[in-house]
Amino acid sequence: MAASFLRTLIPFDIYGGMKLTGKYFGKVFIQSNRQKKRTHFTAEYPEVKVKLAPRYRGRLQMIKDEQGEIKCVCCLACEKICPTQVITIEKGKKEGRKTPYPTRYDFEMERCIFCEFCVESCGFDSIILNHQFELAAYNREDFSHGMEGGFQNMFDVTPVGHYSVAEDVQ
Amino acid sequence: MPMTLTQLVVMALLQIVLLLAFVMMLVPLITFAERKVIAYVQVRLGATRTAGGLWGAQAGRTHKSRTLTGGLNGLMWYLGRVPMLSIFRGLPVFIADAVKLLTKEDIVPEGADKAVFILSPAISVISAFTVFSAVAFAPGALFTFPAWFPIVGGLPFNAFLTDINVGLLFILGISSVGVYGIVLGAWASNSKYPLLGGLRSAAQIISYEVPLTLSLLVPVILTGSLNFNEMARRTATEVHWLAIPLLFVGFFIYTTCAFAETNRVPFDLAEAETELVSGFHTEYTGMKFSFYFLAEYANMILVSALAAGFFLGGHYLLPFGFQTFLMKAGETAWFNQPSILFFLGKVLFLLFVFIWVRATLPRYRYDQLMHVGWKYLIPYTLVLIFVAALIRYIA
Repeated sequence: MAASFLRTLIPFDIYGGMKLTGKYFGKVFIQSNRQKKRTHFTAEYPEVKVKLAPRYRGRLQMIKDEQGEIKCVCCLACEKICPTQVITIEKGKKEGRKTPYPTRYDFEMERCIFCEFCVESCGFDSIILNHQFELAAYNREDFSHGMEGGFQNMFDVTPVGHYSVAEDVQ
Repeated sequence: MPMTLTQLVVMALLQIVLLLAFVMMLVPLITFAERKVIAYVQVRLGATRTAGGLWGAQAGRTHKSRTLTGGLNGLMWYLGRVPMLSIFRGLPVFIADAVKLLTKEDIVPEGADKAVFILSPAISVISAFTVFSAVAFAPGALFTFPAWFPIVGGLPFNAFLTDINVGLLFILGISSVGVYGIVLGAWASNSKYPLLGGLRSAAQIISYEVPLTLSLLVPVILTGSLNFNEMARRTATEVHWLAIPLLFVGFFIYTTCAFAETNRVPFDLAEAETELVSGFHTEYTGMKFSFYFLAEYANMILVSALAAGFFLGGHYLLPFGFQTFLMKAGETAWFNQPSILFFLGKVLFLLFVFIWVRATLPRYRYDQLMHVGWKYLIPYTLVLIFVAALIRYIA
C-alpha cells in the first residue's frame, strides 16, 4: 500500500527512462566524431561506404580463374532458370580450350530481379552477384551489360558514379 | 541618474532590440539542438550536412564538390574528425530551416474566417514575446555605455526591460493570452482536426494553468514578493533551510506543468499526429505557421527562465536555495555574485531537458493528462503551499 502510493507519488519509471536515454546521449555526444570504433549507427554514405553483408545481392558479375580464363562453360543453366530472361549466352569455341567458350554473355539489368537463381544454378561457380549497389543510370542502354565494349563489362565492379551524367558535366 | 524622455525611449528600444534578437536567435538554435539531441539519444548523428544543389549543378553529392554547398559540406566533413567541434556539423541547417519556413506558400483555406485566421498567430507570438519584458536576465546592469556614446552615453544598460513589482502576475497574465491564439486559430481554420486540436489545447492549458500558478505560489510565499529580481534573489540566498526540499519538489511539479503549458511532449496532445493531423496549426503554412512555431519555442524559453529564476537559484550559482549556506563565505566571493552567465546556463540546461524528455517519453492519453493534472498535481501543489506557509510562519 505504502509502496504503491510512493510509486504514484514519485515517478521512478520516468527517472529510469531518462537515465537510459541520458546515458546514450552522453556516449554519442562525447564520441560523435569519426573514429575507428563508432558508437553511433549512422553511415556517412557518399564519403564512407557501408560494409555490406556477405549475402548481399548486387550486380551480376562473371569470374575468371587464376589463369585469367573465363570460368563459364556455356551450360546455359543460368539462362534457363532466369525468371525474367535477362541472360543471353552464345556458345562458341576458343583455341586451346576443351570446354565451350561464351562468345557473348549479355545481361540486361533493367529487367533483373536480383533473385540469385542464376548463381545458385551455376555448377562451375563462374558467376556471382557482387556487392555493388550504386546501379542507377540515366540511359536505358547503360543497363545492358556484355563481355565487350567500353564500360559494359561483365568482369569488374563498375566504378562508382560511372553512369551518372554529372560525371560527364564536371 | 535621472533620464530624459529621449534617453528613456532610446534605451528601451535598444533593450527591446537586444532581447528580441536574443530570443529570435535562440529559437532556431533550439531547433538545431533538438535535431542533434534527439539523434544522439537514438544513437544517430543527426544533421551533418546541408542539402546540395545550391549554386551549381549536381552539387553536394560528396565532399569533393566545387560548389558553395558542396564546399560547406566538405568543411563539415573535415570538421567531423575534430572531437568536440564535430557536434556543430550541420549547423547551417538552421538557416535552411528558417529560409524554408519564410519562403513557403501562404495558404488561407476556403471558408476560413480570414481576419481571425491572420490575427491568431500574431496573438500567440505577441503574447510570447511581451512576457520577456518582465524577465530579468541579471539583477543589475549588464554594462555601462561609454561617455562618448550618442544620447545614452554614461548610462547603465540593464539586463531587464522593466522592474515592475507585480512581475510574476504580469508574466502569468500575458502568457495566458497565448491560448487565445491557439483556440481562435483552430476555430478560424474551418476544419475539423484543427478545431479538435484547439479544444484539446484549450482544456489542457486551462487545467494546467492552475497547478502551474499554484506551484509558483511556493516561492511567492517564501519570499513575500512578486518582483522577479527580488524573488530570484531571496529564493536563492535568503530561504530557511527547511524550504530547500520544498523548492526541490516544487521545481519538478512546476516543470511538469510547464511541459503541459507549452504543449510539449509528453503532453503535446494538441498536435497528436496519430489522431489529429497536426492539431491546431494543420491549416497554417509559411509565415503564419512559423509564428506559431516561434511562439511555442519562445514559451519554452520563458518557462525555463521562470524555473531557473524561482527554483534553480536565479542569477546565483547554486539551485534550490543552497546558495544560502554559500553566502556565509562572504558577499564578495565570485561564486556569491549574481551573473547573467549562471542564469543563461540554467535556462539552456532546462531547454536541453525539454528536448531530452521529448526524446524519452511517449505521449500521454487525453484522459491520463486530465487525471494527472486534476487528481495529482493540484493536490500536491496545495500541500506544498501549506508547507510553504508553515515554513514562512516558523522562519
